[in-house]
Formats: sequence, structure tokens, C-alpha cells
Amino acid sequence: MNAPAPNENEPALEDILERRAARARAAPDTDQAETTVPVAEFGLGKDRYAIPLATLRAVLPLKLVTPVPYSPVHVIGILRARGQLITAVSLMTLLGVKGWRHDCAVLLVVEREGGRRVAIDCEHIPRIEALPQRAVDQARARGAGPVYDVTTAELRTVGLIDVAALLARATEAAHG
Amino acid sequence: MDDAVFGALVATFSREAEELASRLTRALLEVEKQENGKDALAAAHTELRRGLHRLKGSSGTVGLTELTELAHEMETRLADHPRDQPVPRPVVDALLSALDQGLEWVRGKASKGTRLPDLAAVSRTLRDAAGAAGTPAPNDPGPERSRPAEVAPAPAPTPEGETTSWRVSAAHVSSLNGDVERLREIALRLEDQSREMTRWISLVPRGGADDTADPLRNALLAARVSLAADATEIAALVDSMDEWLKAVCTLPCQTVVEPLHRTVRDLARQLGKQAKLSAVGAEVALDRRLLEALRAPLVQLVRNAVDHGIEAPAAREAAGKHREGIIAIRVEQAGNEAFIEISDDGAGLDEERIRSTAVQRGVLSAEDAAQLDPRQLNALIFRSGFTTRTTATDVSGRGVGLDIVADAIRSIHGRVEVHSVRGHGTRFVLSIPAELGSSPLMLVGVGDGVFGIPMHAVRKALPADPARIRTGRSGLQLEHDGALLPLEDLGALLGLRQPLSPGEGQPLLVISAEGRETALAVDTTPGDRWPVVRPLPEEIRHLEQYLGAASLSRGEPILVLRPAWLLQPRTPDVATTPRVLVVDDSLTARAAHRAVLESGGYLAHLASNAQQALEHLRHGAFEAIVCDVDLGEGMDGIALTAAVRSRPELERVPLVLVSSHDDEAARGRAREAGADGFISKKDCAGGLLLAELGSAIGRRRRTA
Repeated sequence: MNAPAPNENEPALEDILERRAARARAAPDTDQAETTVPVAEFGLGKDRYAIPLATLRAVLPLKLVTPVPYSPVHVIGILRARGQLITAVSLMTLLGVKGWRHDCAVLLVVEREGGRRVAIDCEHIPRIEALPQRAVDQARARGAGPVYDVTTAELRTVGLIDVAALLARATEAAHG
Repeated sequence: MDDAVFGALVATFSREAEELASRLTRALLEVEKQENGKDALAAAHTELRRGLHRLKGSSGTVGLTELTELAHEMETRLADHPRDQPVPRPVVDALLSALDQGLEWVRGKASKGTRLPDLAAVSRTLRDAAGAAGTPAPNDPGPERSRPAEVAPAPAPTPEGETTSWRVSAAHVSSLNGDVERLREIALRLEDQSREMTRWISLVPRGGADDTADPLRNALLAARVSLAADATEIAALVDSMDEWLKAVCTLPCQTVVEPLHRTVRDLARQLGKQAKLSAVGAEVALDRRLLEALRAPLVQLVRNAVDHGIEAPAAREAAGKHREGIIAIRVEQAGNEAFIEISDDGAGLDEERIRSTAVQRGVLSAEDAAQLDPRQLNALIFRSGFTTRTTATDVSGRGVGLDIVADAIRSIHGRVEVHSVRGHGTRFVLSIPAELGSSPLMLVGVGDGVFGIPMHAVRKALPADPARIRTGRSGLQLEHDGALLPLEDLGALLGLRQPLSPGEGQPLLVISAEGRETALAVDTTPGDRWPVVRPLPEEIRHLEQYLGAASLSRGEPILVLRPAWLLQPRTPDVATTPRVLVVDDSLTARAAHRAVLESGGYLAHLASNAQQALEHLRHGAFEAIVCDVDLGEGMDGIALTAAVRSRPELERVPLVLVSSHDDEAARGRAREAGADGFISKKDCAGGLLLAELGSAIGRRRRTA
């Protein structure tokens, strides 16, 4: 389909296009431009959490998970995803159960160090958002992790999760 | 005949010849055994005659006249002997030697080699030997009286024909494996979509005055049929590809263990000893690369067992042992590790001799040597150049062998251990990482879960007969083959439920591992499978209960239980921890409740639906019940509460309902049904649930 050509008889349209062109010509102020961290954001109970989008490998429905008797309490079970056998862990349990609105229906497959993967549960399919890099850096400077409270431009607080560190902490606790 | 055609025919025939030679060798080893009965001897004779006849026919078809004549000569030589009598060992030696040379000739032909054995000369030797031997004696004099002039080497491994196979990078095969797994997931998704479509069809209105919905319904029905057919076809293809990949990547251990029977026999004869090999678990399939790397170490260890371990027949008799020594090979795959055990019932390692040899050879000072414990002493035998023999023979004494074994095992990232008891024998255990491999599993159902148990550990499956079940001090026992075995409920062992006494006809399995036996009660035995067993993910790899996990055709993983864990001695459960039954159809909600309850000092038993919950309640006592209102299909939490309250024995069990919906109506329904507490899932923070549960328990106690 061809785009309609500007028509001399339609000054309003011409004005709009001119304004757009002017905006496009204006050089961005790189000092002012906000660098962001793309994340997958989701709710858990009353709180909002996020993981860096770069670590997200797949979003799967929570099913065909085999429970593993004698596993640590945060382990929901094992499943096959993209040809790998991976562990599904309960984020709710890892973060300390604070209540939830809906039973989790989704698993996020997250890449850990060394290409290993793990699945974490969440209530809904996450939203793709961007957190300001500066806010992320500040949160990291303030907290010790594995969850960093990042304040967004809209003044919402989102817990940015370092999944590897969270699991390491749980493993440490499980082994006393 | 065109050279290329002839070459292809010979290459094809050489594979058949390898297989035939393996069968003929096995039959020749059987046909010489004095202890075999007439039926076994006749069967081995028949196998031999058929095999030789096939060798003659197939080689003749390809035009390999020399081999045809040799096979004919072997048939003639065998025909001299009655079918129900053992064939004298010298004759078997001659036939084995002829077979080896025939095989070497075929391999040479297939690889277009120039230095081939002279098969006409081999045939002549066979004929001459027959003339010299005359009529065979019915009973062979045995190895002490007759030694072969020359012991033929064990058959060499099958060469990979360049023209009939490819060399493929292992990484490519691994990628292919991954792709097949992903294809399986796609097949599962298609099945799901087909089910979803069934739901859509049910939503299309029926019975309207006009038939406007009919075309839509029909289109959806046709699409569902097509989708389901595609899903089924893809699933079948994936199963088939899985099997082919398994065939490409793995081989049964039989392929390296089988030739060792011959090695033991020949070497024992050469050394004037009597020994035989027995193998357990040789059907386990392992990565071909591992098997190839294991071939030489296994030969070395088996030769060592015959040479160093097994005593001469007279010495064995004097020590109260059978004249014939036994060398046993046991193979077991445990998740991501394969264990190969080579043991003998011989003299065992002489620790003092190892210690003195280490000092004499300057390996250690006398003071250091005196400090070594048995494990450290035994480790010395793997050092290069270390031997306790004073003179070298063509079999051993050069101190070369075990160091090669250790190097070879290290090269495949494995480890080797030795255990020995003086006078009773030596056991070498090779542990090798085995990412690929398959082993037969028996599937067992417990509750709504399915687990795998390695088939080699399952001695017997039998239906429960109450007359054979006794109650002992430490729990239930099963009378089996004149012995009393501990009888355990697998569901209880796994912590899934409280112990159940098996009902009449319920499946029982007799499990054996590490020299012990136990009986297990399971709910169902859905059959057996031969899947690839993979290691568990790292987060749970430390769990001693499991060898690994395997995937069934539906794609869901099943856990493979470790037989040694099933047999671990256990103290009877005194049930000091209060148990709470959690009923929730959500896996994550169950996990959250479990975490909260365990942090509060309770033991959580989990049920995913009302039916399972009632089953739990029928067989065990619980301190309290935590139940979701919405349980998916079937009875909901309100109905379950009413059902619990209607049973006199459960009337007083505190019950807390939880729900995603928190309104006065829901709370009212919960109260009416008889719930002692109600909490919304959004308020289900650890402390609140425990507080609600504590209040419910307290109220019940006060009213009791």
C-alpha cells in the first residue's frame, strides 16, 4: 500500500508533517537522554517485580511440572523446556510469602550464569517495561540485593530481582 | 563383478560376519562346558551349526570362496562330535582360532588390506588337527592337562567402514538431540491447542432457530481433527527420532563385555586356572565414545583379575573355595554417572607386599609407608611401573597396566577405586560421567505421580497377599522365598502420605541393591520403558533419593529413584511433627503453604484435589486441614469441608479455607460448611496463615 501524498489543498496535514519533520531533524540532547534497562515486569501479591529482559529466555504456561519430593521448599518441581531439564522455583517462597492475588499460571525461564536455566513462577504474563538506568544504579548502590527497590519515573517501586543471587541465598539457607 | 559393487557387498557382509562371529564365539564357549546339561549342549550345538551354515552361505553369496571353504571345514570338524556331549577344549581352541582368522580375513577384505591370513592354511590345520585328535573323548581333560599351543587373541573391535558410516561431531548430535526435545514440546503444544479447540466448540451455541452457528462448529471440528492428527503424527515421529538418536549415540555395554568371556577363558587356560565371567547390567546403554574408551581398561582389569586375583584350582580348594573362580562385572547407570564394577573372588591384594614393594622400589620411605592406611596402600598399585611381581611374564609383571587403566579413566573424567579383602577378592569400581545413556526402568505409580526404578534392581513384581504380610517390631514385613523382607509403602517413603498397609492384590516389588532386599508397595505399575536418564538440574542434584530424570513421550519428566536409597535402613516414624493436609489445585500455592507451614513447625502433606484429600484423610490423622475453596474440576473446597464434617472421625479436625475471593458471602459459605477459619490468598502472608491456623486449632481444642 502506498502512503498518501501531501496535498496542497490540505494545509492542516502539511502542518502536521512539517512539525514531525522538525522534531525528527532536532538533534537529541544526549546528556539529557535517559538510558534505560529493559525488564520483564510482573505483579506478585501487592508488589511489582522485574527481571532484566536480557536474562528472560521464555514464558511458559505453568504445567507439566513434576513435583520433586524432598526438594527444598522453594522448588516447585522440574520440567522440560527447550530441550533442557530445568528446575521451577517459587518466587513467592523465595521472597517470603506475603500473599498473592491469583494462583501463578506462568513460568519465566531465566538464564543464569554458565548458560544454566531456571524457571520462576508469576501470576500473569509479564509486561515489557524500561527502568531508568540511573534509578537502577542508585538502587544497587543502596541495597545489598538480591532484590533492589527501583523507583520509576512514575514514582512506582519495582523490585528488580537478581535471580542468581536469590537462588544462591536460598541454597545457602537450605544447606544451613 | 564391478570392484565398487564387490566392495560394497563385502562391507555389508563384514558387518554380518562380525555379528555371526560374536554369536559363534558365545556358542563355542557354551559347547565346551562340562557342567552344561544335555539340553544346553544340544542348544549350543544347534546354534553353532546354524551359525556356521549361515557363514558358509552368506560368504558364498558374496563370492568369498576361501571363507566358504573354511566355514565348511569348521562344520565338518564340529560334525565329528555328538550334539549332547561337550566338545573337547583343544577342538574349541582350534575352532576359535579359525574363527578369529576368518574374521580378520573379512576385515582385511572390507578395508582392502593386502596382508590377509591364509585361510586355506587355516583349513588345512583344522583338517590335520582332526586327523591327529581322532575320536574325541567325551570328557575333556581340562586345562591342567592340556594347554593350547597358542591362545588366540580376543576379537578386535569392529572397524568403522569408511564407506558405510559418517564421522559426526558430538556437538552436532547434541544439537540434534536438543532440537528433537523442542519438537516434542511443539507436539505437546499442538495437543493443547486441540484440547482448547474442543472448548471453543463447546462454546458455539446450539439449538438456535437458524443454523448460522453450524458452519462455524463444523469448521472448528474439522480443524480440531486435523490438529489432533498432526499432533499424533509429530509425537510418533519424535519418538522414532529419539530411538534413532539413541541408537546413534549409545551402545549396550554388552558390546564391550561380551568379548571378555573369551578373554577370561583363554587367559585362565594359559595360566592353568579355572575362571568364568558373569555380567549384570550389561544391557545398560552408554555413550559410544565412553564405551570405546572403556574397552582397553576393562580388558586390563579382567586380565589382572585372572592373573593376579584368581588362585590356582588346588589353592582355591585348599582355601575352601570352588575350583573355578568368578570374575563379575556389574554395570549401573546412576543419573549422570555410570558405575562399572569388576570384582573377583580371588586372593585379594596383599597390603604388606605392596608396602614392602613400595619401599624396595624407592617409591616411599619405610616410615612413610608404615603410615599408609589400606586405601592409600591400594592406591599405589595405580602408579606407573609399580608391580609386586619379581619377574615379568608375557601376561604381567612389568608394572604396566593399572596405570594405563587409571590414565584411561581419567581421560574420560572418571575415577577408579579399589577395595580388597585379603583371601576374599578385589573389587575395582569405575565411576564415569555419562550424560548420554539409557537403561530400562520399571514405572511405578504413587498417588498421582509416576516414578522410575531401574529394572536391574527389581527382582520381582507380585500382588499383595495379606497371608504373607506380617507386622514386625520395626514395621510391616513380607514373607518372600522363605525370608522376611521389610515392606514399605513407597508413597510414605517419599513423604507423600502416611504409611499404608497394602490391600489385597496391590502391586508389590522386591527391590535388591548392594546385597540387600526390601519390598515396596506401590499403587500401580504402568509398565516399563527404556528412556534416556538425564541428571537432575543442579539446584536439586544433591538429592540422594534420585538417580536422575527421564522423559516419557508426553514430555513430562519422571524421577528415577536410586535403589540404594530405597534400601536404606530407617528408624520407624514416631510422628512427632504435627501434620497438616494442604489441599490446593495450584502447584505454587501448595509450595507456598508448605513453606509457611514448615516454618511454623508443621509437616505438610499435599493434595491437589478433593478426591486425593479424602484418600489422605481415610488413611492418616492430621492436626489440621488447609484447603483452597476453588479446586478446579470436581468437588470444591466448600463441598470438601461439608464432606469432612459429615464424617464422625473427622468432625473435630480444624479446617481453614483459603480463597482468591474475599467477600462476606464467601466467608458465610465457609462458615456454613463447617470451616473453622477463612483467609484470603492475598492476605496469606506467613504469619497470618499460621495465626489463623493456630486460632482454629485452639478453638477446636477448647470446644473438645
